[in-house]
Amino acid sequence: MKKEQFILYLIATLFGLLVAGIAFYLFQTAKTPSNNPTTTVSIASPTPTATPSISLKVDRPVDEEVVDNKVLTVSGKTQSNAVVTVITDSSSDVITPDASGNFSTTVNLDDGQNTLEVISIAPNGESMVIKKTVTYSQEDF
Amino acid sequence: MYKRTLLSLLLAVYCLILPNAVHAQSVTPEDKTNQIRDQLITNIASRVAQLKLVEKRGIIGVVTNATNTQITVNDSQNNTRFIDVDELTKFSNPDSEGSFGISDITNGTTIGILGLYNKESRRILARFVTVTTSPVIIHGGVTAVDNAAYAINVATEDGKQMTVDVENLTKTYSFTQETDYIKSGFSKIKENYNIIAIGALDKKNKDTLIATRIIFFPEIPSSPKINSALENVQKSK
Repeated sequence: MKKEQFILYLIATLFGLLVAGIAFYLFQTAKTPSNNPTTTVSIASPTPTATPSISLKVDRPVDEEVVDNKVLTVSGKTQSNAVVTVITDSSSDVITPDASGNFSTTVNLDDGQNTLEVISIAPNGESMVIKKTVTYSQEDF
Repeated sequence: MYKRTLLSLLLAVYCLILPNAVHAQSVTPEDKTNQIRDQLITNIASRVAQLKLVEKRGIIGVVTNATNTQITVNDSQNNTRFIDVDELTKFSNPDSEGSFGISDITNGTTIGILGLYNKESRRILARFVTVTTSPVIIHGGVTAVDNAAYAINVATEDGKQMTVDVENLTKTYSFTQETDYIKSGFSKIKENYNIIAIGALDKKNKDTLIATRIIFFPEIPSSPKINSALENVQKSK
């Protein structure tokens, strides 16, 4: 009888410890971080810079790209009223973007490395230039 | 009564503790298959990452240093690039007669490099190195036209003033909204036009460009930045 009672107490204690452990675990996970005294840091706003009157983004081709086709598509976005000039080592083209400012044209590449320069010129004469290097090669390495 | 309580307590403990232990110990064939699958996925992902780490790239740069195993160049964006050279790298120079190798590459030479770019080390393992010449492109506004000498003075947005020599072989184009991009002539170029000139710098005078192509825009004036740049240059003098 006493032995049974002892075992019962032992199991009850273990069970109690288990429940307390679970309760402690749940309490710890649900605890929110304490509110530490905060210090206010003021960050000086950057000096405003003059907004450029023209923007230019060339999506294709990617700089330093290696292609195996001599005809290369050049596309991007600029101001809708700008004039876009695409210049390669041996050819050049002047195009106007659509109403959304998107432009696209094709140029012929020479063998090896080609320097591609895209110049967008706003009606007031301001311009923006993006330079890329594109390599035409059919070498397998 | 005690036995029943004892049993129910034991059952409760069993339900709370033992299931996880039992699951952890028994490895079924399904688990093993899953482990192998996970391992395979990890291995494939690692190999794909390795393959993606290297890609073909081509750059143009001016040599700043060259050794038997490495070339250092300044690329078109003015970044310093390190090029590794090995026994498989082929060198060429269109103007050279006979063999051409790494020892023939000197500082200041413009070269085109085609090779394998490692995204991690940011170095290119060169497979082809070629001595190249890129045309010079200047863009600005026409400040003066010399009809007698067939020359145009062009001021750029960075305050430079260049003389553009127009030769017999120079191709001249103009662009207007009405006519689009058409062939034109030297006589149509006027002061304050927006202009792009493409060619090579005169070896004797670095402020003179011998033009191969000229594109001018009669409807677009010189950039307003040009005047302020020229003023700043004059003030600094």
